[in-house]
Amino acid sequence: MTPEVPYYMVLGLVVVCALGAVLIRGYITSIIVLSIFSITVTVSFAFLRAVDVAMAEAVIGAGLMTAVFVTAIGKTRRRS
Amino acid sequence: MKLRHLAGLALSVPTALGLGALLLSEAVVTSPPDGPAAHYLRNSIADSGAINVVTTVLLDYRAFDTLGEASVILASVAAISALFAGAAPDRSEQGLSILVKTSVGYLTAVFWIFPIYIVFHGHLSPGGGFQGGVSLAVLVILVYVVFGSRRASAWLTSSRLHVTESASAFGFLLLGTVGIAQGLAFLTNAAAGFPTGSTGNLLSGGVIPLLNLAIGIKVAAGLGSIYLDILSSDGSR
Repeated sequence: MTPEVPYYMVLGLVVVCALGAVLIRGYITSIIVLSIFSITVTVSFAFLRAVDVAMAEAVIGAGLMTAVFVTAIGKTRRRS
Repeated sequence: MKLRHLAGLALSVPTALGLGALLLSEAVVTSPPDGPAAHYLRNSIADSGAINVVTTVLLDYRAFDTLGEASVILASVAAISALFAGAAPDRSEQGLSILVKTSVGYLTAVFWIFPIYIVFHGHLSPGGGFQGGVSLAVLVILVYVVFGSRRASAWLTSSRLHVTESASAFGFLLLGTVGIAQGLAFLTNAAAGFPTGSTGNLLSGGVIPLLNLAIGIKVAAGLGSIYLDILSSDGSR
């Protein structure tokens, strides 16, 4: 197994998570898949030795954006 | 899933993959051997005293671009607070259970360590003001989620965060004018008399740790206040 194989596996996971975040119906599930997408992108940045970018992607994509999206959807959902 | 969705997928996925592969190969092929990147890698430690070349590029060679990025965040915070201005925070939120409150209350002291480490070691290790600042903003969100907005909004208000953000942005600009006062360029580092220290120490890199601190406080207050502004809007407007 060459060293590139795990990297390409992570890239495949990135594509799968991106498609899942777009195609999945439920809002909350879609947000969770989006944060998993951020984690996989973080891992791929770490593979490329761009650790600064990986750290920024991890804290923004998985931490901040998830909270902001969940709050925004909780605020805009119609209460019945 | 409808047929046109499938058709859109069938078109867009190969296009994106092909464009990405093309751009990546172009970037690798056309990077010149003696361009700016090679210059930065060779001279960054001698120029600024900071080990982390990425931070040196961000806060020494290209500090003016970083100021532009910081003003983008400032503009978005201003726009969001203008949209949601005047809305009272939702005071019915009680937060999570007493178990979570007690344990997180102790753990918050530990949670402070990571962002502070990231900010203060920005010139030595990966990370810097932006990454540490976003971690601090996530800490603000954690306090609001766990303790509820009734208790947290007693002291951690959006307006206080706005004042903190503006003050630290002003501090960034003040640090930049030190170079102008001596007839040099805006945001000059070592040439403006900032001591570069001994390479590898915590106190090295000239103005870079101070700029990192300013950016860290600014990003933490700005992104935290974005969350608080969204939280305090009632959604019906």
